[in-house]
Amino acid sequence: MQVDATMRRLRLLITILVILLSSWALEARAQDAPSSSEYLIKAGFIYNFANLVQWPQNAFTQADSPIVIGILGEDHFGVTLDRVLQGKKVNGRPFVVRRFKSVADLAQSVIDLKDCQILFVSSSETAHVTEAIQTLRGISVLTIGEIPGFAKRGGIINLVLEDNKVRFEVNVEAAKQADLNISSRLLALAKIVQHPVLDGRKTE
Amino acid sequence: MLTIHHRNIGSVNPARRVFLCVVLAVLFRASGSAQSQDLPDVTAMSVEDLMNVQVTSVSKRTQKLADAAAAIFVITQDDIRRSGATTIPEALRMVPGIEVARIDENKWAISSRGFNGRFANKLLVLIDGRSVYTPLFSGVYWNVQDVMLEDVDRIEVIRGPGATLWGANAVNGVINIITKSAKSTQSALVTAGGGTEMRGLSNLRYGGRLNKGTYYRAYAKYFNVGPSRDPFLGRRADDDWDALRGGFRADWTPKSPDSFTLQGDIYRSRYGETLTVPSLEAPYSSTFPNQGRISGGNFLGRWNHAFENSSTSLQAYYDRTNIAENSLFKDHQNIFDIDFQHTFHASGSQEFIWGLGYRSIADSNDSSFAVSLRPDQNTLNQFSAFAQDEISLLDKRVRVTLGSKLEYNEFTGLELEPNARVLWNITHNQSVWTAVSRAVRTPALTERGLRLNSVVIPPGGPGNPSPLPTIVAVFGSDKFKSENLLAYEVGYRVQLTSNLSADIATFYNYYTHLRSAEPGAPFLEADPAPVHFVAPLIADNKMSGGTYGTELFADWRVLPKWKLSGSYSYLQMNIRKNADSLDPTPDNPGPASARHQFYVRSSLDLLKRLEHDAVVRYVDQLPGLNVPSYYSVDTHFSYRVPGGVELSIGSQNLLNKRHLEFAPDFINTSPTEVGRTIYGSVTWRFE
Repeated sequence: MQVDATMRRLRLLITILVILLSSWALEARAQDAPSSSEYLIKAGFIYNFANLVQWPQNAFTQADSPIVIGILGEDHFGVTLDRVLQGKKVNGRPFVVRRFKSVADLAQSVIDLKDCQILFVSSSETAHVTEAIQTLRGISVLTIGEIPGFAKRGGIINLVLEDNKVRFEVNVEAAKQADLNISSRLLALAKIVQHPVLDGRKTE
Repeated sequence: MLTIHHRNIGSVNPARRVFLCVVLAVLFRASGSAQSQDLPDVTAMSVEDLMNVQVTSVSKRTQKLADAAAAIFVITQDDIRRSGATTIPEALRMVPGIEVARIDENKWAISSRGFNGRFANKLLVLIDGRSVYTPLFSGVYWNVQDVMLEDVDRIEVIRGPGATLWGANAVNGVINIITKSAKSTQSALVTAGGGTEMRGLSNLRYGGRLNKGTYYRAYAKYFNVGPSRDPFLGRRADDDWDALRGGFRADWTPKSPDSFTLQGDIYRSRYGETLTVPSLEAPYSSTFPNQGRISGGNFLGRWNHAFENSSTSLQAYYDRTNIAENSLFKDHQNIFDIDFQHTFHASGSQEFIWGLGYRSIADSNDSSFAVSLRPDQNTLNQFSAFAQDEISLLDKRVRVTLGSKLEYNEFTGLELEPNARVLWNITHNQSVWTAVSRAVRTPALTERGLRLNSVVIPPGGPGNPSPLPTIVAVFGSDKFKSENLLAYEVGYRVQLTSNLSADIATFYNYYTHLRSAEPGAPFLEADPAPVHFVAPLIADNKMSGGTYGTELFADWRVLPKWKLSGSYSYLQMNIRKNADSLDPTPDNPGPASARHQFYVRSSLDLLKRLEHDAVVRYVDQLPGLNVPSYYSVDTHFSYRVPGGVELSIGSQNLLNKRHLEFAPDFINTSPTEVGRTIYGSVTWRFE
């Protein structure tokens, strides 16, 4: 009897709390997700990748066109990536960071390679990896993931945490099909994933 | 590893923890580059450099856990090393709000959010997914639970209930000690140390690789702790302690979705104490140096399998404990536990986790005049099932977690332990969370079948007009039920600047059916001779009441090479006997827990290879135990000599010569004072 009463009170409380918090949350301004310094290091990797990967000729309109980095899904970087790349240049190109909420958003915004050269696929998109890669079919975007099996599923670079250190896998076949030239220095440090590309990426 | 990850509600605020590690590693390299707003310039680092930076505990699982709707604190390997701690209890002193009090050199009282005591029973402790609380009293024998501290990856501490995931006894907190994988301990390590209290300590570990994907390590550890001082007799106490243990861990990853872990330990711990036991002959009690010995071992296997969108984990272990408390109690326990968990993404915004568990406890014991436990042979079975759903709403800025555990035990039948948690990331640098949970503490073996002869009142003495001696005895009872908790928690975390973060948790806990000791009708007993009266105090559930408090933690990197961290915690307990209770002890066990506690820690990198840490701690008085408040100042230096050698020297309690931290309960052993100590060690790592 005691338990019943307690449970009833508990249920009521849960309901109230959920309603209360949802309503607060609705009013809150849209802001970035919390950032962490795992992502500081990952930002460092992205900068290095930009430096050590060569895009095809048609990737940029001008010699000083920016390198566009897209973040697909939940953004764990917060402001870290923007701040790390602020004022930085690679081969005379500055950086621009864009954010895509979903694959649909990505498909709408990225029509050709000039729109985005690097796409970081957040861990929140585990269920949408194949979809995202299919969306980019034929566009030489350097896809960087943080999802187990990302490279096997056709992603080009996958960041993995191993014993609390950031390591990376490279799907060489996927890079080749995307017409991206990855520096041998980078490949020497990578774990090479030998896997056929499922969705037959083709370059234009 | 994965199982543990599943079970973690989480890891501390990653922004804080990871930042520090990163800063440590990065700042040396990125000197001078003016990056906006003091972020270390990672663009100046090469890929090789980046690959060598340690980022703490941020696997996807833990990353998400970092935003957990619970009061969480993580002690990292670096924290342990820099503190100079040589035992797990010492390391736990840095957790905000956790009470750690030393009773004597080999006994501790450790609890979370009140109810502290040597037999504190509301805290669950796990080592690599293996529960180490004893079903005898639902607490922990801190003098046998140990690991090689160098191999600890992190200690995750959750204050507040964790019953939905961890089950009964995760009432006021969960301590999760997680060791490194065999792959990350791939070298030989030798530690030798000694000092005034810890007289000698040696660690040996070797890690190796059998083939691609199979790694192992084996270790042995021995230490010997000298006696401290008995404040009442003013002489050397008998509380020396030594322990020897060894073990191994092997991790095997045959193909990427599957991984297996096997690990095991054996140990033996010998400890001394000054024990007072009652007697039916004049002078009706005797006090003498006593020796206890606990030995045991455990063996654990785990299989993880990761599918594309889900993962499963199957874990089984066997744990054996032999307790030989001379003159008091002998007990042999065999525990077998098997556990299955499955996590999957129900949709993009939902993560579902469920599991099943079975546990068998076989106990056999030998009694003494002072302590006996009925039945002397007993096997108990426990079954459990749980399910929890985590739902992300509003662009994943709000996370709602709903779940419950259903548990069956032979004493009280089915127990339900639900919780509801909400986390809201208000902005990118601040979040609030709140939780309501129910937890139960199921009866321990002693609460059902104990007889503890506490004292003998001499015939004709005060309180005993009869011509016969009277034993005041504490009895367990078949009617003893579970203790219940309904907990309400609210917390707030903020990263004020990239150098300053704070974390606040507050709680209100309402307990019902707490343990009381009800006087029963005195009776006459002839065995053992001489004929005597027994005045029983019988375990019952006639106490209830609320506790509330708050725990604050802040972390400030004042300079790139200097960090300050501090914690303050407040606790108020209002526990009362129910109207129908005749328990003769006063209300409020509160005074055995400190109302105020705080510490400030400074971590300074003096030179590239020289680190200095100092901490000032304050613990409020414990009026119920006549223990005055105390301050303690500890300091520690560590120097890394090129070539894998680390020198460490630390001193504790610099401020006052000696202080008392706690007093024993139930078993009358003499408490001893914590003195000023110095300890040094050399650690050598090589391939």
